[in-house]
Amino acid sequence: MTTETVRAEPAAVAPAEPRVVVVTGGSRGLGAGIVESYLASGDRVAGCARSSTTEVEGWLASHPDHFLFVPADLSRSDDAKTFVDAVIERWDHVDVLINNAGVARDGILAMASDDDIDVVVDLNIKGTLYVSRLVSRRMLARRSGSIVNISSIVGRSGYRGLGVYSATKAALDGLTRSMARELGSRGITVNGIAPGYLRTEMSHGLDEGQMDQIVRRTPAGRLGDPGDIARVCQFLTDPRNDYLTGQVIVVDGGLTS
Amino acid sequence: MSTAPEDVQRTVVDFLTLTAKLPEGFSADTPLYAGGAGLDSLETAELSATLEDVHGSDPYSTGEMPQTLGEIQAFYAASGA
Repeated sequence: MTTETVRAEPAAVAPAEPRVVVVTGGSRGLGAGIVESYLASGDRVAGCARSSTTEVEGWLASHPDHFLFVPADLSRSDDAKTFVDAVIERWDHVDVLINNAGVARDGILAMASDDDIDVVVDLNIKGTLYVSRLVSRRMLARRSGSIVNISSIVGRSGYRGLGVYSATKAALDGLTRSMARELGSRGITVNGIAPGYLRTEMSHGLDEGQMDQIVRRTPAGRLGDPGDIARVCQFLTDPRNDYLTGQVIVVDGGLTS
Repeated sequence: MSTAPEDVQRTVVDFLTLTAKLPEGFSADTPLYAGGAGLDSLETAELSATLEDVHGSDPYSTGEMPQTLGEIQAFYAASGA
């Protein structure tokens, strides 16, 4: 136990200037929850997805000066560049990058088509690499920034029928550690969050019975919701927490503890 | 900022000063890496990003690997940027 004097810290995060936050795939589900969290903290938020949603239209109307949406398929390098260029043109720099965009196709690997593999690998890995490359350059030029890669507990534990998805999420954890080592000396933190099963994950091929079983095995007694993950994003990107980098935080209600 | 040779030189010299890698007698022919300024891979990435940030493009992103300030200046002269 330390005997050093503990400095009093303000309880709430109150950045002097609105941060510029990029959230990939921020049009629905978990990404939408993360976008809402940063808009609520007064930040400027840029999101992208292949198409708009009612949530996106709502933010454009309610936060016209603080929200930017660019239609983009991040599995294409040109689209990733168009997106990041649009953010720079509007707000000059990027303070925070949340790599959230991802897709899952369920099914036993032995039955997966080339397209099943390509779609998941291209967006989850290559898309994340494209955006991270572009944004980290901007962060390097300013010597500051925070990056959070959203992976998944299935990248650690595996899940029958999600082999390709699991492989891509494990890859993101490796990227997190490598980028943290590359960029740490330049004031840029890189961390990951491995969420457990969220309500939004219904679309990932888990049926009601599987979800009930997951809840029974989860110490917290419930599925996660986007707010659970967004709050950890806020913590990891709080400039006061710049001694925390290269880590993947498991946020799963204790399921894999 | 323009891509005139003197502006590009200012960007590179400012960067080398920031990274404490500005050698005595630095000139357009001084090697940027081993045997000269001694930039490592991360510092080279930073220089690339800084050139893009300040001048709108940079030689490294086009696949070139300029060895000296003079070669960086030549890139901008050739691109007519």
